[in-house]
Amino acid sequence: MSARRRWLALEPAGLPVLAVLLAFALCAAAILALGRSPLAAAGALLDGGLGGLEPLGESALKATALTWTGLAVALPFAAGLFNIGAQGQFLVGALAAAWAGRVLDLPAPLELPLVLGFAFALGALWALIAAELKTRRGVHEVISTILLNWIAIHLIDSWLVTGPLHASGSQGFSHSGTEVVRASAHLPLLAGAGSRLNAGLPLAAAGALAVWWLLRRTPFGLELRAIGSSEPTARAVGIPVGRRISQVMAVAGGLAALGGAMMILGGGTDFRYPENYRDPYGFDGIAIALIGAGNPFGVAAAAALFGTLRAGAVRLQDPEIGLHRSWPEIAQGVAVVLVAGQLLLRGLWRWPLRFARKPAAAGAPEASP
Amino acid sequence: MTHSAALGAIAVSILAYAPPVALAALGGVLSERAGVINIGLEGMMRFGALFGAWCSLAAGSGPAAPWCGLLAGAAAGAAGGALLGFLAVWARADQIVAGVAINLLALGLVTFLLEWGMGASGGISDPVAMLPSIPLGPLGRLPAVATGAMLVLPAAASLFLRRTPAGLRWRAVGENPRAVAAAGVSVRGLRFAAAVASGALAGLGGALLPLALLGRFEDRMPAGQGFIALAAVVFGKWTPLGALGAAAFFAGAEGLQIELSSGGSLAALVPKGFFLALPYVLTLLVLAGLVGKAVPPAADGVPYDPEGR
Repeated sequence: MSARRRWLALEPAGLPVLAVLLAFALCAAAILALGRSPLAAAGALLDGGLGGLEPLGESALKATALTWTGLAVALPFAAGLFNIGAQGQFLVGALAAAWAGRVLDLPAPLELPLVLGFAFALGALWALIAAELKTRRGVHEVISTILLNWIAIHLIDSWLVTGPLHASGSQGFSHSGTEVVRASAHLPLLAGAGSRLNAGLPLAAAGALAVWWLLRRTPFGLELRAIGSSEPTARAVGIPVGRRISQVMAVAGGLAALGGAMMILGGGTDFRYPENYRDPYGFDGIAIALIGAGNPFGVAAAAALFGTLRAGAVRLQDPEIGLHRSWPEIAQGVAVVLVAGQLLLRGLWRWPLRFARKPAAAGAPEASP
Repeated sequence: MTHSAALGAIAVSILAYAPPVALAALGGVLSERAGVINIGLEGMMRFGALFGAWCSLAAGSGPAAPWCGLLAGAAAGAAGGALLGFLAVWARADQIVAGVAINLLALGLVTFLLEWGMGASGGISDPVAMLPSIPLGPLGRLPAVATGAMLVLPAAASLFLRRTPAGLRWRAVGENPRAVAAAGVSVRGLRFAAAVASGALAGLGGALLPLALLGRFEDRMPAGQGFIALAAVVFGKWTPLGALGAAAFFAGAEGLQIELSSGGSLAALVPKGFFLALPYVLTLLVLAGLVGKAVPPAADGVPYDPEGR
């Protein structure tokens, strides 16, 4: 392969990396323009995200949630479906885990898998509404999943968590949201009590591997990708498109729900579903999936990167840094805008080729720049 | 409370609280009728609300300050619309991805601008000068500018789309762009203009939140009203007056909930969440064809490729 072809072959993986680097560069320029030091900011972010077990635990908590919601968007993407509903599915999973983790009373080795399984199932059912509306009534999944997000938010916030599932308040301290889950449902800690690093992170990594395997190594994944590249063709060769759409949306809903469940069971919200819970990990999952270019490993990498930066952002407010904590979010937003503008990124990626010598006529030995 | 007083309160809640959603939904109608899906309404409302509050605050306490804010809000929304237009029309981005990107960008950037730029802490800005309103005795105040804009702009847009040659071209670009191109009209130019107009209206709607209703900016704004607007576009079957009706209906449902829960009768039996979820559930039912049928413009969301067939 010529260097030119190799460069072009790298493009699908290279464009998101380029988008992230460009976003960082733009943010660095803005920070410089504010009269602050981007280098000091980067140092604080890395130290705040990776410097020690406690920060690592915070980064892992966020990266875990982002990996699951990112996978929940990326998996249906392979079949050409845009799951904007990861936020609602995430919240449904979080509430399911908070409820089951309270009412189930089983030995620890049984309880945790059962609670996670219950959350997965409810998330899957919630996402299935959108799938059935699409396959039976032709409702576009983008609009239905957006609507379902808000239905979930309002029913949970203004009914379930303030009504039937509200903590009775008998613990003697002010307590909003649901009851605290049993200790047997907590995700096992990996680094002692001083860090929230827990089994969620390896489980999320396994999830990314499983989604990759599902997409790349099973007939199911092959059929999904066939639907994604051309639905009429997939139909013509006998793939049951409607059934596959339902299945992939259900799995996606379950994945996002696992993200919510692990946020609750990992202690991200003090082991309960809080009142007016607003962490936008499901919305961010769309960003993670786009930055990860729909690839499960790309999703895991993007989730690790932005999870770390978000955890590290608390350090940006240190007086000697003097920056606002939302810079990682801004960088993520800019990166998604750049990813959306694929055509521009592609032009930029191919720009170095202008300086390479044009390949000689067919058959002639290829020139290497 | 008597029935007439309750009805009056609900009417006021429609006239006061529907305008932000109605204007954003009108923006959504205008862009979708030209073939550009604007998922970014929420983000554009957020930009409009922040810059509206910021400029009103910066302009001081004179009578002109809130009007500066209103203008700035529309301009900020239009800038968001221009970004959508640029990505969707010129960079041929997936329109949904582009809209989502704008929402995500607005999420972090506005928090930053609020706390760093406006110097607010705790997610709430200082009080801003508000647009003139009319006192209604026990029913509170009517935000006259918001109500007026809600009554005038959708009607004007409806006349524009249905009765003017430019409106015909606008609709045609959303139904059959190739025919419009054949008639010598720039499809890209028109779609870009539609995205900008859509953003300006969403920004205007967003700016009403601090300037006409709340008197300050809060970090949670617009709290999903951009998505309600998106639902109103569908519920109103992609027409300006339909979207207005949908926005009014949704606001009415919320006003009814407030009345019921303060009335104390049947209210306690129906959880607030049911009322809040109602607009979204109804829109899903409409989309599923269980309550009427909604058909989007034929080329809605389809990128225009001049070389394609």
